[in-house]
Amino acid sequence: MAEDSQTDHCFLQLKQIHKRFGGVHALRGVDLKIELGQAYHLLGENGCGKSTVIKVMSGAISPTEGEIILNGESFSALTPIQSLAAGIETVYQDLSLIPNLTVAENVALSEQLVHGEGRLVRRLDRNQLRVTASAALASVGLPATRAFLTSVVSDLPLAQRQLVAIARAIATKAKLVIMDEPTTSLTRREVENLIEVVARLRADNIAVLFVTHKLDECYRIGGHAIVFRDGECVAQGPLASYSKADIAELMTGRKIDAHRYRVGQPAGETLLSVERLTAAPSFFDVDFSLHKGEILGITGLADSGRNELALAISGVRPATSGSISVGGVAARIRYPSDAIRHGIGYVPENRLDEGLFLEKSILDNETALVVAKLANAWGIIDDGKGRAIAAEVAKDMRLNTTDIDMPVGSLSGGNQQRVLIGRWLTIEPKILLLHGPTVGVDVGSKDTIYRAIQVLAERGIGLIVISDDLPELLQNCDRILVMNGGRFVADLDASEATEEDIYHAMLASISETVQ
Amino acid sequence: MTLFPIEKARAAERDDDRVSLGGFIRKHPETVTAVLLVVICVVVAILNPDFLQPSSLIDIGRASVVTGLFALGVFVILAAGGIDVSFTAIAALTMYSITLLTTRYAPGLPMILVLVMAVGGGMLLGMFNGLLVYTFSVPAMIVTIGTQYLFRGILLAFVGTVWIMALPEQMLAFGRAPMLQFANSNGAVVTLPLYVLVLPAAAVLTWWILNRTLMGRAIFAMGGSARVAERLGYNLRTIHLFLFGFAGALAGLAGIIHVCSNRLANPFDLVGTEINVIAAVVLGGARITGGTGTVIGTLLGVLLVTVINNVLVMVGIPSTWQRFVVGAFILLAAAFFVVRQRRNRS
Repeated sequence: MAEDSQTDHCFLQLKQIHKRFGGVHALRGVDLKIELGQAYHLLGENGCGKSTVIKVMSGAISPTEGEIILNGESFSALTPIQSLAAGIETVYQDLSLIPNLTVAENVALSEQLVHGEGRLVRRLDRNQLRVTASAALASVGLPATRAFLTSVVSDLPLAQRQLVAIARAIATKAKLVIMDEPTTSLTRREVENLIEVVARLRADNIAVLFVTHKLDECYRIGGHAIVFRDGECVAQGPLASYSKADIAELMTGRKIDAHRYRVGQPAGETLLSVERLTAAPSFFDVDFSLHKGEILGITGLADSGRNELALAISGVRPATSGSISVGGVAARIRYPSDAIRHGIGYVPENRLDEGLFLEKSILDNETALVVAKLANAWGIIDDGKGRAIAAEVAKDMRLNTTDIDMPVGSLSGGNQQRVLIGRWLTIEPKILLLHGPTVGVDVGSKDTIYRAIQVLAERGIGLIVISDDLPELLQNCDRILVMNGGRFVADLDASEATEEDIYHAMLASISETVQ
Repeated sequence: MTLFPIEKARAAERDDDRVSLGGFIRKHPETVTAVLLVVICVVVAILNPDFLQPSSLIDIGRASVVTGLFALGVFVILAAGGIDVSFTAIAALTMYSITLLTTRYAPGLPMILVLVMAVGGGMLLGMFNGLLVYTFSVPAMIVTIGTQYLFRGILLAFVGTVWIMALPEQMLAFGRAPMLQFANSNGAVVTLPLYVLVLPAAAVLTWWILNRTLMGRAIFAMGGSARVAERLGYNLRTIHLFLFGFAGALAGLAGIIHVCSNRLANPFDLVGTEINVIAAVVLGGARITGGTGTVIGTLLGVLLVTVINNVLVMVGIPSTWQRFVVGAFILLAAAFFVVRQRRNRS
């Protein structure tokens, strides 16, 4: 392998790769080059063929036509074993870690499994396990102490799990590490660390391929952009030579500018007022109010207490002291049903696990909150009434389908999110909490979600957007509250504030900002 | 607002025990089992010093062997994320068939071969379970409920329904062979039989397989996430066959030991005690959802259940209360772990 990389710098090359799934032409003549020691960012909207091309590289699927050149050797398709043996490792979005095993086992068991060609009736070489795991952990910047090696993966915070997954990928002498949406659930500080790890991998002559939606991070990491649209590679070149707007345009095929979506003005009437709300040890003495038709942004690092605040207002994990009043009336919120009764809707960050019934239809998902109202005197559900409501919501939220019997699981991320927001419209909410409304959603869908948010504000609903995505907050909100160490440390006017202002408040040490 | 300082104090308290005792117990839930066991033994010994007589200790030892072997098998399957309720039927079918075969056709068969046949027979029946669970990817619960009826049906319909009272000499000898003998306070001699050693031997073997072989880690990996384990290249078919085969082998062994110690092969025996065994494993700290637990915890759970079943009578609690006590302990243990977990999360 070493001599190949000397004679030809190119590690992996795809030539005119086509892939058809039945009638769907998922890849249409893709040409790609991957060189060792480089970083690549595979960009594109959902369904553009990104995951298909990754699967071609990892050997999970065989292309219909085309040529794959790996280490100078030509293949028409790779098997997973060929791909792994050549050092192509994929870190999936779900990380594929085994939660109940230790860090060392997660990182280094695969090595022994591969070494024994998959045979399981073998003695476990615990020494080798420790040596391999220590080396791999050290190279991603995790401690290789005995305590860490023997801690169980499910006890680790997400960011460390992410690094453990990367450590596993490189424990087996990887040449190319593919990371599928690695930063979706990381905070900024954790992303910084990941960026460092990537630099270290590149220094070791390992190529890294990111699949991501987060353009800001791509620019931070640098390297090459590979832009996909409708199964074609529409651009490949140094990232620095494209602006954000260029890339968005290449991805969507239409121009999307980073304009401010916010058009309306909040009304004077106060909808929600929160006083001295406390849920130790997450947040303390939080005061704020929300007006009719106002869009309030709340941000902060993952441990700032913003998530817990959202959970407290929505009744998922109630606060321990302080008061909440809705429309001037004191509201005691101890369960989500209390919040719903007061007209507070909560769209959780993790829509797949906490929000949607994936196997159920759009109809069932949209009417989930009002099922009781659809029933007649005998308790029989009026299907026609439900359909009318669901169809109206689907229209309101501009779903890209009118078939409300389709299971929600078959929709794209952006449409799923709109189904979830739409569900709350059925109870005519006064207040909507949107937690990470565009996490894992592509640029085109973000646009539609933002427009929907503005329409809701126009109707007089008060919206609270809790998000990590600073441009999102700046583009959509009236005010942005920044949390740090469980307290609000800044109240910024979104039409004037900059990302730097927000960072400053988010990252400042508490003693400095409390004044 | 007066709530605030109290809450803060509570939170601090929580933080405190999380690093010390709480963390330790969460990592080693079997300590709770051990403490319960010691407390019960001490209380019983104070109320009735007869408990410390060699005879009652030996009774407990003897009574734990069969439950213990079953429990090791159940534990291994639980660790892999499955469940087995057919092991008693496997034990009944193998023990009765092999006793019948030996008595009728080969009365002089060496004991070691009888044991090998029991282990082998149990293993085959277990592997049948494993094959069904893997091939049809049906929950193990459903499959083993089915095979429990099936195996028991085969036993009662085709093999026999008559008690075998006259066992071959070598089986009787195996049940009698002494390891230690004690004189009780009343002068009677009590014997700790040799077969009691089978349980620690099987426990050490199980521990070794689970912790020192790739198969063992693969079993836990499957219990953690079968989908991920498969993606990482673990052969789930092999794991299923091994796992259920191993549990079946232990069940077969337990069955034949049951016959030898009772000097009787009763085809209606054993089936119906599954819940008792599963209760012991769960009390030993293994989660019913899979992927956790230890061999030592399983043994402690078995001892706890055996002690409850055998000694409550000694302190004047009627035997009808045994189930109540076991049930209460299971609920208490479950509640304890749930509360711990919740605290840890917040």
